[in-house]
This record gives sequence, C-alpha cells and structure tokens, in this order.
Amino acid sequence: MTYSALAWKNLVRRPVRTALTAGGVALAVAVAVSLGGFNLGYRQAIAGSIEQLGFQVMVMAKGCPYEAATMMLKGGTGLLYLPEEAHAQIRTDPDIEAITPIFIGIAEKQNYSLDGSPAASAFTILSGVDLDSFRAMKPWLKLKTGAGYDGGRWFAPDSTNEVVMGYEAAEYEQRKVGDVFYVSVVPNGKVDPELHAFTVVGVLERTGAQDDGTVFLPLRAAQTAFGRENELTIIGIKLKEFNGIRMREFEGRWLKIPEVQVVSLEQVKGALVSLVGTAQTMVAAVAVIAVLVAVIGVVNSVLTSVHERTGEIGVLKAVGAGRGQIFRLVWLETLLTSLAGAVPGSLLAAGGARLTDAALRHLLNIGVTQPLVRITPGLLGAAILGAVVLGLLAGIWPAGRAAGLRPVEAIRSGE
Amino acid sequence: MANDILISGRNLRRHYRRGSETVKALDGVDVDVRAGESVCVLGPSGSGKTTLVNLLSALDAPTAGELTIGGRRVDGLSERELVGVRRGLLGYVFQQFHLIPTLTVAENVALPLLFLGRKAEPAEIARVLAAVGLADRAGHLPKELSGGQMQRVAIGRALAVRPRVLIADEPTGNLDSHTGEAIFDLFQKTVREDGVALVLTTHNLALAARCDRTLTLADGRIVA
Repeated sequence: MTYSALAWKNLVRRPVRTALTAGGVALAVAVAVSLGGFNLGYRQAIAGSIEQLGFQVMVMAKGCPYEAATMMLKGGTGLLYLPEEAHAQIRTDPDIEAITPIFIGIAEKQNYSLDGSPAASAFTILSGVDLDSFRAMKPWLKLKTGAGYDGGRWFAPDSTNEVVMGYEAAEYEQRKVGDVFYVSVVPNGKVDPELHAFTVVGVLERTGAQDDGTVFLPLRAAQTAFGRENELTIIGIKLKEFNGIRMREFEGRWLKIPEVQVVSLEQVKGALVSLVGTAQTMVAAVAVIAVLVAVIGVVNSVLTSVHERTGEIGVLKAVGAGRGQIFRLVWLETLLTSLAGAVPGSLLAAGGARLTDAALRHLLNIGVTQPLVRITPGLLGAAILGAVVLGLLAGIWPAGRAAGLRPVEAIRSGE
Repeated sequence: MANDILISGRNLRRHYRRGSETVKALDGVDVDVRAGESVCVLGPSGSGKTTLVNLLSALDAPTAGELTIGGRRVDGLSERELVGVRRGLLGYVFQQFHLIPTLTVAENVALPLLFLGRKAEPAEIARVLAAVGLADRAGHLPKELSGGQMQRVAIGRALAVRPRVLIADEPTGNLDSHTGEAIFDLFQKTVREDGVALVLTTHNLALAARCDRTLTLADGRIVA
C-alpha cells in the first residue's frame, strides 16, 4: 500500500465526479495547448512563408504594402503595378545581392470544374518571372520527376505559351508535363477576355509555400497576356547585408521614384503576426477562463470529497496519520486528478491539431500554407507541468482543511 | 511487568461549550491502565465513557488534569504532538468498525503501517489476519464481510502496529451477542498472549465481568 495507491482508490470511489473533473482539466489543457501550438505554428508559418519568398525587401507600387505582401503569400486581386524602368534603376544599387522582377496577374481558368464544382479556385495566379534571377533567388525550386513528369523543364525565356505549374496547381488541375492549360485573361484596357492555351512543360516539387499554387510563365509572356508591357507587380530584392540601418538607407535611396514604395518583409511579418494578435488574445482569454474553471472544478471536487470523507479522515488520524500525511494524501488526489486530465487533454490537442489547423485557417483566412498549429513535445510537457503545478496549488486549500481536522470531531461528524 | 502503568490520568476534565452552556463530559477522573490488564468502562449513555477513552487514546486532550501515556505527559499537547503519542503505542477499535471501503481486508490492516513509514510485510499481515481469524479473507472488500468479520478487521488494523494499549469503544455494540462474545474472546486472547493492555467501553455487563477491572462512570465521574 502506497499513498498514491490510496489516493487513486479514493478517486475511483466516485468515478463520475472524478471523470467530470478530469474532463474539465482535459478541456482546459487542450485549449491551452492548441493556443500555444497556434502561437508557435503561426509565427513559424509566417516566417517560413516569407522565407520561401526568397527575398527580404519588396519594391512595389504605392498602396497597402501588407495587402501586397499577403497577396504574395496567398494570392488576391486588386493588384497595382509599377513601371519596369524602376527595376533597371534599382538593380544598380551597390547593396543589392540579388534582384528579380515579378509580374503577377489573375486569370480565369477554363473548364476548371473538373469535379463539377464551381469555386473561388476558378481563378489562378499567373506569375511572370525572369527565369535566371528568379531561380537564383529560389534555388530550392525543383522540377518534379516520375510518371507523367519526366522530361519536365523550365520554360524557354522567350516562349509565349509555356508554363511551369506549382505542385498544388498541377494536382488540382490534374495537369502533367505535356498537357495544355487553358486560361482566359482580360488584357488591360480591353473588355473581352482572351483565351490562352499554355503547354505545361514542368511541374514543381512541393515547397509548402504559395509557389505551390502558382502558375509560372516568362515575364514578357505574362506582361503581354495582361496588356501591361513594361509594368511589374513587385521587385524582389535580397540585400548583401540586411539590417534596420541598411534597410533604411536602401529605402531612402529609392523612395525618390514616384509611385514606388519599399517594404521590408520583416515589417510584413510583424504586421501579419499582429493581424491575428487580437484573435490570439481572445483565444488566450478563453483558455485562461477554461483553466480557471478547471482549477475551481478541481478545488470543488476535492473539497467535496474531503467533506464526504471527514469521518474517514478522522479514522486515518486515529490509526496514526499525521497532519502532513493527510495533506500529502489529499494533495496526491488533486495531483492525480490534474494528471488524469492533463495527459488526455494534451493528447487530444495533439491528435486534433489538424482539425484545429483547418478551423483556424477557415476562420482567419491566413495566407500561409505551412501548418498553423505546431504542437511540440516541449509544449505538451509544459502543459502537463503547468496542469500539475496548478493542480497542486488547487489542492492546497482542501488538503489543508483535511489535514487540520481534529480526529474526534471528524469521526463524530462522519457517524 | 504486569504492574507497569502505561496510562495514568489524574483529575482528568474535559469540558466543552454547547451554546451558552458548559458541558462537563468528564469531571475529575483518576485512572491507571497497566500492561496486560483489561479495564472495562461502564456507564449509561452520556456518562463520559467515549470522552474518557478518547483521552486515554490521545485522540483528544483534557481540558484540565494530568495525563501520561507511555511515560509521556500529553495534557496540553497539540494535535500534531498527540499523533506522535498515538503512533505505534495505541491501537483503536471503533463501534462502527470504520474500515476504508475501497481497501481490501489486508490493505485495511496494513494501513497504520503506511503512516508509521513501515513496509507492510505480507508475512506480518498474514500473521495478523490469522490471529483475528480472517486468513482466508485477505482480498475481500469490507462490503463483502459480516459485521463480526469487519470488527475483526478493525481489531487486526489496531494490532498491526503491535500496540501496547488496545482501546475499544463499544466494540460489540453493533454485533449480536454470539459474535460479541467471539470478539471479546479475541480481545482477551490478545491481552493474554501479547501482554497488551485493553481499555474498552460497553453496556454489556456480562462482558464487563470478564475484564480484570471495571470503572463505572456517571455524569463524567467515576462512581464505582
């Protein structure tokens, strides 16, 4: 017989009450772990997605820089354009390590509804890129191989009808190397759309970034298709040395170009993180309330148990239990209740991470493709430890009450 | 060593407040308990029997008077200190048995050893269970036992720590006369074989007659 065994037997004496109390703890821990996982995952996802852009600084037409950045990450409409000569000017900057011009347009897919379902995915992002500088900026981009993808290559720089599809774009459209991909585009200044038949010459491996959902084509071909020759959407820049001072110096040099703004992706990252700050605060408040309710539940449950067993505690004292031993016993009961909730709660959060991820993605419409909820062993350990500490704190009062009972009064009140 | 005094009380008083009234549950009692003797406390309900055995078993402290248990003055001690007096020296048997319902017979018997910090050796528990006639009931829960068997478990629990004084408050009060006799036989066997002092309260005059001494209480005083 050990204290733990005795405590456990006391708990299972009232299985429903113990299960409900532990369930409350489990729920609170699951909410707290999910929130922690979201905090962790979201920051990493934003950082990862921005990292996958390959550049640290964007030059773009004046407007909302965060909208543009979000568009880069998740796609969107309402694009603004800057003159292409800005690229020619900026590329001479001595602090630049690499630079790439990008033209982004939104095209309507033709016969898109392979499964018969109309959807927002009727539109696709066409990204016109300068092949050499773009690939140098994103050396991790690899062409997919295997059945249907062998022989894949990048488009010829001067081609007008070749595209390379991102992994998800190709999967969704069920296109392989050699297939034709139809889109219609309304060129700038025109009313009627023009149909384009592009040959898929390559499909990219999955990157986990927005590139997966993008269709790439030569810069000139994209500009021509959209009727915006000599215009760009953004210029992606990697500086030789990236820090706040260099960034400000760089910004100061190029803000002189009319209609152009310079945006650091660090700023964008901060803004995107703060975008969900309010939501995170609200969820944190819910988590705190859930934890408080769980703690109150544990206190109430153990107090009730102590009250019911007043006579029994008196008997334990009569047969030799000291104050500290009774305290230890009741405290162990609290600890076991907390653990009985914390462990399943943590597992629930870990097991339900994908569901939580999907729900958050649906609710918040966040422009990242990487997992939003990251539940790490460290996070689970911290949650269980936190529940144990809170459980022990919750147990002080009931354990103290039990320990302070005088045996004669306790036995008498139990009879 | 039969004349060794294990418990000595002088002018013991236990008063308490009930509203505006002071109840004198025990009012100037002198008592000695020696090793190897059985002392029966008789008296009508409310005469102070339970109050006296609560004091003698260090479950409660006297309001006034001198009380020595196992050679240690206990009057004026706090509950924390009284625990130290009870441990290992005194074994207590209740009228209502007061077994822990979730523990088996063997676990109930071993319980005091947990609080003494001693490992419950299976052979020792088996010895105690055999002594109280429950060798074949070790794994049973209290609800599976008869009243007499439950009281035997309670006696086994009290004996597990090898106490020098066994105190029993109306131990046969909830048992039929035949079972009560058997339980009393068990007590006498313990006194005879282990040299344990026995203090018990009862309303049963036949059982009282079998004790070495009787103390009769009325209104908190010894009257015979």
